[in-house]
Amino acid sequence: MGAVGDVNHAAADEGRKRVSGAGPRADGAAAKELPESLLVELRALPSRYPQARGALLPILHRLQEWRGWLAPADMRIAGEIVGLSAAEVFSVVSFYTMYRQRPVGRFPIGVCRNIACWVNGSEELVATVKQELGIGPGETTQDGLFSLEEVECLGSCGTAPCLEIESCYFERFTPEKLRTLIASLRKGSGDPAGAIAAAAKGS
Amino acid sequence: METYLSTEFARSGPLLLDEARAKGRWKVAQKVFESMTPEQVVDEVKNAGLRGRGGAWFPTGIKWSFMPKEPLKGPSYLVINADEGEPGTFKDRQIMEKDPHLLLEGIAIGSFAIRAETAFLYIRGEYKAAHDALALAIAECERAGILGDAAMGTKKKMRIVLHRGAGAYICGEETALLNSLEGRRGEPRPKPPFPAVWGAFGRPTSVNNVETLANVPAIVERGAAWFKARGTAQAPGNLLFGISGAVEKPGCYELPLGTTARELVEKHAGGVKGGGKMRAFIPGGASTGFLPPDKLDVAMDPESLRKEGTMLGTGGIIVIPEEISVVDAARVFSRFFRHETCGQCSPCREGAAWSDQVIARFQRGEGLASDFALLEDIMRGSKQRTICVFPEAFAGPLGSAIKHFRGEFKHA
Repeated sequence: MGAVGDVNHAAADEGRKRVSGAGPRADGAAAKELPESLLVELRALPSRYPQARGALLPILHRLQEWRGWLAPADMRIAGEIVGLSAAEVFSVVSFYTMYRQRPVGRFPIGVCRNIACWVNGSEELVATVKQELGIGPGETTQDGLFSLEEVECLGSCGTAPCLEIESCYFERFTPEKLRTLIASLRKGSGDPAGAIAAAAKGS
Repeated sequence: METYLSTEFARSGPLLLDEARAKGRWKVAQKVFESMTPEQVVDEVKNAGLRGRGGAWFPTGIKWSFMPKEPLKGPSYLVINADEGEPGTFKDRQIMEKDPHLLLEGIAIGSFAIRAETAFLYIRGEYKAAHDALALAIAECERAGILGDAAMGTKKKMRIVLHRGAGAYICGEETALLNSLEGRRGEPRPKPPFPAVWGAFGRPTSVNNVETLANVPAIVERGAAWFKARGTAQAPGNLLFGISGAVEKPGCYELPLGTTARELVEKHAGGVKGGGKMRAFIPGGASTGFLPPDKLDVAMDPESLRKEGTMLGTGGIIVIPEEISVVDAARVFSRFFRHETCGQCSPCREGAAWSDQVIARFQRGEGLASDFALLEDIMRGSKQRTICVFPEAFAGPLGSAIKHFRGEFKHA
């Protein structure tokens, strides 16, 4: 069936994850030392669940909050705490879109591309990022400040179009507001979390 | 119109405990914990005819009655599905961000009804604002003794554990959600066993949607007859209808089940944006598919929409304007479902990806006359052949697009 020949590669190619990364063995970028206080915090999480494994997602969230992504060393530590191998942890990490297997910019911008946002101009937001920062989906600026990703429905359909940065929502957004946001984040790049929170409050 | 779910939606931040109590929150749970039996709560909810607002519309009281009556050799759990991810749906978020104590009170009553002392509230990872509002509300309740080892001053225990997901549409499927709660890949489980027998951490579990539980305090307080006075005979109560897309006033509107789509779109949401024309509308979230504008007089309840060959789903209406083709809109969904299939069942994994490729080909203007049969074949070959109903979900927009809007699919 030559007619569908171009479809042949389709099925297996595009997995759930847009960003691929190293498996648990490649260990290069993990030099950052985990603070003891964080380790104590992580070790307390399994007691919230009937089985230690229940704490895996919260532990991974907390580790990613600290490093900005999940290095193989983080997956090993998570595994040690809940009693899983690094490979088992990696199989969980690779399932969920919010876990990052490689570093991204200090301000990872996620533009919703689903129906309500798309009908209300999400493509213009992606184009504005391209104009302002020269990056497309899956790319990071050379200075390491901004990354762009297209994401699926954020549940902001009634306040579309929406973009998010570290799960802070910027709703009813416009190219103009986006330009202002990029400028204010750039000024606050010394304290990314603070800059995002301040911008979210003002938007 | 009387509302009981959305009274706080106009606020900018969450209703805090003191003010929430002044508005009557926790009064019903207090009465339940002090003077009712689990059977009485289940019976009231059963008699009220409350059905699950997550999209499946299964009767809540009946679901609860499947749970063990005596705690056997271990605990039962209530799990709250706050993994709101169906495109076009943003109702649960309003409850959690604005009126978290309404939900927490519903959770406490629901837990009491199924004899659970622990509830796991699984919220999608992206909902940071809602998560923070709930975390604060739970902490308030723990400090005030509403939750804890002597909940509300009684001898009963009640604990609510807030748990964040990490980005996966499929975790809205209840058994995928349970796997995710247990720290596993969010892949749906084969059923049986159903969650009431083998749920979270291998224990009997009832999984209920946020809005469903938010209905419970009012039902217990005012009674089944009061509840049944609104909505339809088979689907009583109000629903939080979301209206989005190309409308003047998108938003979340609390109205009785059975309200027509036309009233929602034209009266409440102010009609099509800019006075434009409608090309299509989606009645209840992405997986319910497209309907042409001449179906706008359909009543928004499960039975009426089934007669139109679709579903009420989550009640999230999405309006597609004249200037956007259904082919392009269908591609947004096929790309979405291709991205979100969990991949464990071949018919779904392959079907979602192949159908996306075929729609993409139509979008490029390279469709073939034989592609309609190919799409039908993909849908036939994947529906009811997998662990969960994901193929039914991606077939919603696909099947309805080629049924109602075939003329838009140009082919050689």
